[in-house]
Amino acid sequence: MLQVQGLTKKFGEVTAVEAVTFDAHAGEIFGLLGPNGAGKTTTIRVIATILQPTEGTAVVDGHDIRKEPEAVRKTLGLLTADIGVYDRFTARENLRYMGRLYGLGGTALENRIHTLLVALEMEHFADRRAGTFSTGMKQKVAIARSIIHDPKVVIFDEPTAGLDVLASQTVIRYMQHAKQDGKLVILSTHDMAHAQALCDRVGIIHRSKLITLATPQELLQQTQSQNLEEAFLAIVGQNAAQTTEREREEAHLRDVAKKRKKLFKL
Amino acid sequence: MNPIRTICSKELLDSLRDRRTLLTAVLLPVLLMPAILVGSIKFQEYQIQQAEEKPVTLALEHEAAVPTLVAFFKQQPKVELKITTDYPADLDSGAIAAYLSFTPTLEQDVQKGIPADVRVIQKSSNITSTTAAAKALSLLQLFNREQAAKRLAAQQVDAKLLDALVPVPVDIATSQEKSGFFLGLLLPMFIVLFALIGGMYIAIDVSAGEKERKTLEALLLTPATRLQIVAGKFAAVAITASTTIVLSLASMYAAFKLFPPSFGEETVAIQLSLGAVGIMLGIGVILAVMFSGLLLSVAIFAKNYKEAQNYITPFYLLAVLPVAIFAQIPGFKPTVAFFLIPGVNAVFVIKEVLIGTFNWPHIGLTVGSLLVYALVAIFVSSRIYAKESVLFRS
Repeated sequence: MLQVQGLTKKFGEVTAVEAVTFDAHAGEIFGLLGPNGAGKTTTIRVIATILQPTEGTAVVDGHDIRKEPEAVRKTLGLLTADIGVYDRFTARENLRYMGRLYGLGGTALENRIHTLLVALEMEHFADRRAGTFSTGMKQKVAIARSIIHDPKVVIFDEPTAGLDVLASQTVIRYMQHAKQDGKLVILSTHDMAHAQALCDRVGIIHRSKLITLATPQELLQQTQSQNLEEAFLAIVGQNAAQTTEREREEAHLRDVAKKRKKLFKL
Repeated sequence: MNPIRTICSKELLDSLRDRRTLLTAVLLPVLLMPAILVGSIKFQEYQIQQAEEKPVTLALEHEAAVPTLVAFFKQQPKVELKITTDYPADLDSGAIAAYLSFTPTLEQDVQKGIPADVRVIQKSSNITSTTAAAKALSLLQLFNREQAAKRLAAQQVDAKLLDALVPVPVDIATSQEKSGFFLGLLLPMFIVLFALIGGMYIAIDVSAGEKERKTLEALLLTPATRLQIVAGKFAAVAITASTTIVLSLASMYAAFKLFPPSFGEETVAIQLSLGAVGIMLGIGVILAVMFSGLLLSVAIFAKNYKEAQNYITPFYLLAVLPVAIFAQIPGFKPTVAFFLIPGVNAVFVIKEVLIGTFNWPHIGLTVGSLLVYALVAIFVSSRIYAKESVLFRS
């Protein structure tokens, strides 16, 4: 269903993703794990054709991201951490707009919207403007929006970040249903507990590279760990994790200084 | 539905529900433009009427010593003589508008036929003083003429001997030309202004607003291409800005029908031919289309609404200042190069059209150059929308 081959993405001199290769299949939840800034979101954005790869490619349900980006986007649904919705539109109008952009229309679109409104328990606020919604309500609209076209591959990027327990459960339930429906679910997260509970296989991205690919059980056995968080630290090393954090902070400060310098030059 | 149409329809509906867009794109041009235009013309009428009715206040040095001159000024309509002991202070305060200074022997000099200097002192930073000084000078000429006529009569010579010719002013400006001239001072600038303002908020909303709401990524994830996305957004901005132009012209036309301006004693009906209205509309719409592309290109760089407004303000000044300056220069004859400057060219063509002059090379050059600028603006904005560094600027 998804083949990622030597995927590399550079932003100027910075390599955000380096030669990432993995396969993921229909009917599984595949976890992309790693700390913030490891390269997970960039990998996902390249697979979703929002960003252009520098090297390598990925094939989604038979469509190459370089050659058929529009076809890839039709096959794929992505729920990002940004759950922004159109505030002056109702939940139904938000979904209708996205549905039309995915080529749906008429009764088929209205039926699909109805199905999603029922499945995600959104009927009571379907015709209210989104500007008044709580984070959880917006999250439901964002989920429905990302799957309005019933994609075969669903990618969730930090889907529970900033959500309360109830809202998180909505997302988790959907991922489990999608798996049962035979879809490929990619879950990108730094929340190891969720990953351990949900994922069939995980890939750990560290310093822009995919360093491990295994089932959660295999990782626990390999590292003699009680949970995935311990396993993760054992794999990347406690010091390495701290070093990565420091490197990221230093890179951020360098970036800010560079931007200021540019501004003064102007 | 075609993605361009879908995006365009959504953005239009979205902006219709946004009070800020409604205010700048609909209410301001419909209400403010006619109010300012009609108001400013009515104010000009009032000023002219005031100038005609208000007496000129003069003060004469050694007033008691010049009874002939005083008597002459007292005979003149709308001239008021005042006594001053400190003429600079009175000129400053506006108590007098001009001061006539001469030697105490002026009366005797006039009787003896000796030419004497009369200094007309004014404060040129005050328009009332300048007008009064001009009137005083013309009255002194008249006094001169009367005195000369008396001297000639004493020598039994006909005073007509002084007249080599009799100048007679004749104004051949038609009613349309007169109204067009006055309209031309403000209307072209307003058209340029509303072509820009009409699309401003929606341009920010569909670009920086989409980033701020965090909906951009969801939009980019749909099968719509970047070109289709930018085309849909551009169409929405251009339609809004063009609607603003149409509404502002229509409301202005209605306002002048209801409140016809009068210049002097003549009431002037605004007579715009269909051709003139068509050209103004056409140029206004092309201008709106061009500004829409430019506004989109500028606003997409911003991360949010506030930043977009900061970017657009200098752009706005850059577009409007030359227009405001050139629109106000009376009698300025632009060279061909001026018809290549976007905005400024529209001002000159609209000014010409308003006084009934259809200079087709000027119209062609303006329409052609604006179309080229519009295409360049659309191309640039579509290129910018393809740039990852701009779309995902953090």
